[in-house]
Amino acid sequence: VAQSNIPADDLMTARAQVPDHVVFRTFAAETVVLNLETGKYHGLNPIGGRMLEVLSESPSVAAAAAVLAREYGEPIARIQADLHEFCSELAQRGLLQLRVAAAA
Amino acid sequence: VPALGALEEAREALPAGRKAALAFEILATYLRARWLLARGDLPGAVATLRDAPDAPSAPVPGSHRIGRRLGRAVVNTLSVLPVDSRCLMRSLVLTRLLARRGIPATLVISARPGPEFGAHAWVEHAGRPLLPVGDFADARLLEL
Repeated sequence: VAQSNIPADDLMTARAQVPDHVVFRTFAAETVVLNLETGKYHGLNPIGGRMLEVLSESPSVAAAAAVLAREYGEPIARIQADLHEFCSELAQRGLLQLRVAAAA
Repeated sequence: VPALGALEEAREALPAGRKAALAFEILATYLRARWLLARGDLPGAVATLRDAPDAPSAPVPGSHRIGRRLGRAVVNTLSVLPVDSRCLMRSLVLTRLLARRGIPATLVISARPGPEFGAHAWVEHAGRPLLPVGDFADARLLEL
């Protein structure tokens, strides 16, 4: 089930996917994200760009948080809080889909 | 040598009737591309414009030269009309013109990041541009 606004606890088990209508490329100082449905370009700083990369490759947001916590040497709780805000903002702009496993 | 280039261009000049027909085709394609973009996304518009079942399936001799000439015609025609003649519309129109003639092409979107952000679109055939690339060659974001 794809959602854009989900509680922090549920978010950690969700899988973040970059939709087919979104393309991004990481440059030296910025990641450019293009939403093909709206025709709008968005810019992410290097940390945001790395977050998007790791999210798109990870099986869950929690797994992405673990990778980023290791990379940046920050407490996992802080990374999870940052990812919650980041995912929510991207999802609201149609740049990320958060897929929560449907209840059995 | 510029003089020789001009002579070559003159030899390639189309008769007035065919020029008018091409201008009409460009304008009609422009209107269709606008309509498609207003109702769907870019990949969908490109796929629709590329759909030309009656186009020749065999390789077209001199396809790059033809493509460049069509590219110039698109730029020249759209720039004198009161229409959106920006790079994306030019590229969409040229994509359709090439598809109708059986010439495969790729629409490229580039974006240059930073404070002087800029985005650009052009069309390539066999990896060679048919429309001006500017300084966006290294900033490719998407190929359709």
